[in-house]
Amino acid sequence: MSDAVAQQTEELEPVIDLSIADTVIDKYIDIPGNLMPVLQGVQDEYGYIPRVVADHIAERLNVYPSQIYGVLTFYSQFHLKPRGKFIIRVCVGTACHVQGATRIVDTFFDKLHIGHAETSPDLRYTFEKVACLGACGMAPLAMVNDSTYGAMTVQKVEEIVADYNQRPLK
Amino acid sequence: MVNLTIDDKQVTAPRTATIYEAAKINGIKIPILCHDKKLKPFGACRMCLVEVEQMKGRQIPACTTPVTEGMIIRTTTPDIVKARKMVLELLLLNHPLDCPVCDKSGDCDLQNLTYEYKVNSNRFKDEKFNHTIDYNNPLIERDMNRCVLCGKCARICDEIVSYGALTFIDRGIETKIGCEFDDGLNCEFCGSCISVCPVGSLLARPFKHKARFWAMTKHTSVCSYCGTGCNLTLGVKDNKVLTTIYDEEQGFHKGQLCVRGRFGYQFINSTKRLTKPLIKKNGRLIESTWDEALELVAGRLKGGTEVAALATPRLTNEELALFKKLLLENIGTKNFDHAAGFAHAALTDGLEKSFGTPASSASILDIQKSDFLLVIKTDAYETHPVVGFEINMAVKNKGSKLNIISDKRGKLSKLPETNTFVHVPGSEVAVLNALAKIILDEKLVSAAAASVPGYAELEKALVPFSAEAVSVQSGIAAADIKKLAYEYAAAEKALIIFPIGQGYAGHAADLASAVANLAILTGKYDKEGCGVLCLSEKNNSQGAVDVGFYAQDGALGGLQILDACSTGTVKTLFIAGENPLTSYPDRSRVKAALEAVEFLVVSEMFLTETAAMADVVLPVCSFAEKDGTFTSTDRHVQYFKAAIRKSVQIKSDHEVFSALITLLGGTAPTSPSATFSEIASKTPGYSGLSHVSLRKDGAYAPVVITPSLVVTQVAPYKTVEQGKLAMVTGSALYHNGTLSQHGEGPMHVCPEGYIELSRADATAQKITDSDMINVSSSTGSMQLKVKVSPRMPAGVVFVPYHFSESPINTIWSGSPVTLVALAK
Repeated sequence: MSDAVAQQTEELEPVIDLSIADTVIDKYIDIPGNLMPVLQGVQDEYGYIPRVVADHIAERLNVYPSQIYGVLTFYSQFHLKPRGKFIIRVCVGTACHVQGATRIVDTFFDKLHIGHAETSPDLRYTFEKVACLGACGMAPLAMVNDSTYGAMTVQKVEEIVADYNQRPLK
Repeated sequence: MVNLTIDDKQVTAPRTATIYEAAKINGIKIPILCHDKKLKPFGACRMCLVEVEQMKGRQIPACTTPVTEGMIIRTTTPDIVKARKMVLELLLLNHPLDCPVCDKSGDCDLQNLTYEYKVNSNRFKDEKFNHTIDYNNPLIERDMNRCVLCGKCARICDEIVSYGALTFIDRGIETKIGCEFDDGLNCEFCGSCISVCPVGSLLARPFKHKARFWAMTKHTSVCSYCGTGCNLTLGVKDNKVLTTIYDEEQGFHKGQLCVRGRFGYQFINSTKRLTKPLIKKNGRLIESTWDEALELVAGRLKGGTEVAALATPRLTNEELALFKKLLLENIGTKNFDHAAGFAHAALTDGLEKSFGTPASSASILDIQKSDFLLVIKTDAYETHPVVGFEINMAVKNKGSKLNIISDKRGKLSKLPETNTFVHVPGSEVAVLNALAKIILDEKLVSAAAASVPGYAELEKALVPFSAEAVSVQSGIAAADIKKLAYEYAAAEKALIIFPIGQGYAGHAADLASAVANLAILTGKYDKEGCGVLCLSEKNNSQGAVDVGFYAQDGALGGLQILDACSTGTVKTLFIAGENPLTSYPDRSRVKAALEAVEFLVVSEMFLTETAAMADVVLPVCSFAEKDGTFTSTDRHVQYFKAAIRKSVQIKSDHEVFSALITLLGGTAPTSPSATFSEIASKTPGYSGLSHVSLRKDGAYAPVVITPSLVVTQVAPYKTVEQGKLAMVTGSALYHNGTLSQHGEGPMHVCPEGYIELSRADATAQKITDSDMINVSSSTGSMQLKVKVSPRMPAGVVFVPYHFSESPINTIWSGSPVTLVALAK
């Protein structure tokens, strides 16, 4: 975590509204084995799992806080830090690699000033290298949230970044 | 039973056994690292691999595989040995070989197995881990670099302790044991994780670099804190108790201990111990000699009924019996008592009337045999943590149903399927009476109940206690009370547990009788897994009652003795080990009494605030320096031997009382074992017992019950005035009485008094955690640190009583519920 993000996390944590988490918890409270759906639902709401929310879930579901942390760190789907609005994923699997994915990744690093699994301080971008996105025919491949961009070039990286820089954050 | 062959030997084993257990029963050793007989099978380490012929010679883990009929097992083929060696090589790949500085060395499973399997080289190469060592707490050091990921610590913390501080975090090669958000450990510090750790990942910090494991002699003993009667193994070197050592074979609790038992031993070798008798001369306590001190004391004890005594139930049975003999026969006074008088009334008055004997009808062993547990006050966990572990295991492993009637929630409330009925403080007897009334009205009584003496009177007396009426007073819904009564009556084996002690003034005779009424009405009082378990506070509270060290036949009780000191009817007061100035209610009343009494003798280990007021202070020894017996709360009489030699200038209380008997012209017994023979001949249930017969496992003194139904008195309902809070007193998890203040472990984690407050009250009064606030009652006011806690209901505050620095008896005068006001 860069210092800026850490600072932001601290600023964000105190204003977290637990009633949003409560709505999710209430939905699953009577179902056995409800920890996973609650954590997933809560992450959908907040974008990540803040610590106060994890503690709150522990208290409401009567699960050890440590156990929740064990689950959160076991699955890569859970995030403990705030994430960007636009999640850029670049495939570095075999097909994309031979088509020059490394240069695509490096260009994104240059343009966004963040590295792998990092989030920009303004919470606009989170960048991730992924092993395979399952569309090798489109290599080299990148995704921004749910939009797919095939046959990536350095030029296209610049276009994508320019495009998403324009989009509103709220 | 199933028949199987292990290593060409025909053996039998229970159907439920695993291969590991079957081998163990039959004397065949299979190496283990991640397995513990107290925990559920896990199968993480692969050390216990064996070959089973029926499984095509595949290597399977013995600790998780159940036995089947005709199984043919080989535990040590060349292939198996090779596989185990490789397991060890892989473990040693990342485990640092810092054995010369590791405190676990000599007691380390990994080290022992490496030695046994002669793993002297490693074919693999990898880097060692570089995890930060957790030094965030004063008691448990966590070095995850040494961890072999057996998971025992996380499992024991969940399965037995039910705290869940530790868990596996991350995944794959990154996996480690950690706490939530990878913080430092912050738990109740029972140290169970240390006890099961097979390597040096979890270590007791107070013992860090104190002695090598093999250089210590190991002495078995009995814990001197609460009434559970846990067994201890003390590690001794150079006549000093350096640590407690885990022994999984020890006691009913299989070596499990709480924070006090495991980390509270430092009072034994404390530098603050008294070393010489002190005599007050010109207003100052001056060091003196035993001859002078004893002469002086003996001279003053010749006063007959003008002499009174208070003794701590931490003394051995022998010492209490001898003290009683000294008082009755050589001095001629009946005025002696212990535990402020009220803290043993549940036994000596309540159960005495209900059961015809001042003892619990159930034992701690019944907890796991019961299928319905009713606990009065969640504090049962705090007062007797190891009993709490038994409750945890009963609920989690045996499926016992747990119901709690309490004025606050607690750790026990978090157990699965547990109902906690939070009532208005002080209304517990009314709730119990309502349960009894429903059982009577709905004809849920046992066939024999109608012939029990007192049945008709009880039926009549219970008329006002309808569920609806009690619901208004207690705040528990009438439907819940009814359901609880039905469930209790319907359960095949039901056990009621409640703690007593100096902090629990409300848990006296009436509560005990109300509880016993329920058990007697439903016939659930003397069968296995049934009954009433009254958890007595100190290590020998039950023993003090058994040898009769309390006010009987109209003699003055604990608090009356103090009043008699104030009025001058008692002129000489002998206090053996008690610290009334901190632990008895109403400090000003105690202080006035101790100031007024003409001659005060205190025998103590430390110069307590009570001892500081004495005319003569006699330095006496701790449990680790003497021989004797303690009787636990369920009448388990246990013998223990001295673990260390006492210093020359210190005597045991037994020696002090013997010397005084001789000085007063009587004949003193030659040894504690002679005194015990006398106890055995006089005390019901103790006959036939002797120090020799108790040497191995002790013995349970049988309890013979003659049931009677007793009408209980219910204190009138006290309305809480506007702006006031109901203060309840009790014990903190880390402490027991005032002795634990001299144990470094308990003081590290809970160094001072506090007031526990609900979130609602804290918000309303704008108080936050760790604020110092002024708490005032009708008798006084004091400063206390705030602990905001989700377990407290609004309008109720909890205050533990153990601390000399913040004696709560300045604001507490012995009432079960005290009204207090808070101010910043």
